[in-house]
Amino acid sequence: MSAALAGERRLSLRSVRADGRPLVGPYWFIVPAVVMLSTVYLGPMIYAMMASGTYWVLTEPGSEHLPAGLANYVDVLSSPTFWHAVRVTLLYALTSVVLSLTFGTALALLLDNELFFASMFRSILMIPMVITPAVIAIFWKLLYEQEAGVFNSVLTGLGLGKVAWLSLDRAFMSMVLMDVWQSTPFFMLVILAGLQSVDQNLLDAARVDGANIVQRFRFVILPHLVPYMVIAAAFRGIATMNDFDKIWLLTQGGPGDSTTTITIYTYKIAFSAFDMGRTTAIAWIFVCIVLTATSPLLFHLFKTSRARP
Amino acid sequence: MTLAMRALIRKTVLSLACLAIGVTYLFPYIWMVLTGFRSAADTLAIRFIFTPTLAGFGGVLGDSGFQGHVLNSIVVALTTTGTVLTVAIPAGYALAHLPIRGAAFLVAVLVARMVPGIAILIPIYLAASRLGVLDTHGVLILLYSTFNLPFAIWLLRGFFRDVPGEIREAAIIDGCSDRQVLTMIMMPLTTSGIVATGVFVFIAAWNEFLFALALTNTFAATAPLAMVSFRNEYGVQWTAIGAAALIISTPVVLFAVAMQRFLVRGLTMGSVKG
Repeated sequence: MSAALAGERRLSLRSVRADGRPLVGPYWFIVPAVVMLSTVYLGPMIYAMMASGTYWVLTEPGSEHLPAGLANYVDVLSSPTFWHAVRVTLLYALTSVVLSLTFGTALALLLDNELFFASMFRSILMIPMVITPAVIAIFWKLLYEQEAGVFNSVLTGLGLGKVAWLSLDRAFMSMVLMDVWQSTPFFMLVILAGLQSVDQNLLDAARVDGANIVQRFRFVILPHLVPYMVIAAAFRGIATMNDFDKIWLLTQGGPGDSTTTITIYTYKIAFSAFDMGRTTAIAWIFVCIVLTATSPLLFHLFKTSRARP
Repeated sequence: MTLAMRALIRKTVLSLACLAIGVTYLFPYIWMVLTGFRSAADTLAIRFIFTPTLAGFGGVLGDSGFQGHVLNSIVVALTTTGTVLTVAIPAGYALAHLPIRGAAFLVAVLVARMVPGIAILIPIYLAASRLGVLDTHGVLILLYSTFNLPFAIWLLRGFFRDVPGEIREAAIIDGCSDRQVLTMIMMPLTTSGIVATGVFVFIAAWNEFLFALALTNTFAATAPLAMVSFRNEYGVQWTAIGAAALIISTPVVLFAVAMQRFLVRGLTMGSVKG
């Protein structure tokens, strides 16, 4: 990367190309974007790195100059509550992705058939995906209410007992269920796109060779779908790891810390303890976790983007 | 039984299955819609049959606090969309067609897309409070615009790449500048892609919650924050929440349905064409 940058520098020093066209020109097209991205991402990240090396607590003036070295990082990495938050985050993302991938695939397989009102079904089934997450969470919290909540009323109506949806034991599951409800259409749409690009000749050939419907799915359709599933899982996994709105409005990370993911953990430490040194250290550790987890996806996106269509 | 009849029966059965699954799955959404149309006395009873009323909508829309939130959301989301398109269109075009060394920038764009918001929230909060721009529209617009840039640049670059480079070369030989190629040739050819990108940016800005929660208080607070207030002020105001939920979510739902042709491509940053 540094070699490419050096090459860029050398080129831009010459202001005119051999054919007389100004060479500096094209870069102006990306300058505003570069400026904005550096201001909002690079600046704060560097600032955070500097702050994470101090014992800065907002309520103690002067503490921002107390050098801490790597003490904040050591502190965070040796804290059981941090690792608990990491576990909750990963478990949340994993469970939610697996479940919504399963439901989404099932719905896609159903929608891939000849149906009456097929496009209407498609449009309606994707609604949960685009509703404002804050709206979803506030509404689901009402659905989950123990006494007047709709879910419990339905359960009672069916002759079953009430469930304490947001109790210590169940809150994590309820949080996952809400996210699965929201992410299923995303998987459905991506996998439907995959299904509709299956090579029909290949399917016909398999049929002629005597493959039954299960075999056709297992050996022709599924291998074709795998890349679609991986891409969808990667994108949704990242989104779920970064989820804040829904969790905050449903449980605020509780009861206890049973639904405290890294985002909730960071937010709480920042805006209740005002410990900036520690908060910024967590932020950097979280960035490293997310970038490591997403590096295969980044690499894939970068690689495929360079190939000419 | 003829083949056509068997096909028809199959189609009917599958359609009915789809309807049943759809109604069950969308139950929370259906319930939300119904709640908006109930009278306050009706909301405690769990039943589907009731006399619909627009009282909830009247109450919410007459609430000057809620009006302010929605107006803020409209201003912020529209300005963000305009800013993102103005900055991302030239960048996307440059990365698709111009002889620049874009590899480092492409990587930076991708990495920025993946950086978790919470990681930069604190430094941004501190900077905003020091500059005295907390609770202003400007700070939200700048942040939302930048958050959506990576995604918009990436997507637009894909749309511009669908236009053959020969078209640009021919126009350059005819004496066009790159600015003219972009505005007079490329943009008209990619209008639907640009519109789709703009709509996705609008939706993202409209739905954003974390930064609005941390950086605004009352003056610039956006619509998703209004939802919270209906739960806190006088206990749970079901009808108000139902009506507000519908008012806030319906525009995004309609936009997304209208753009569903591009939705998959947008959500996977072009890696699945849909």
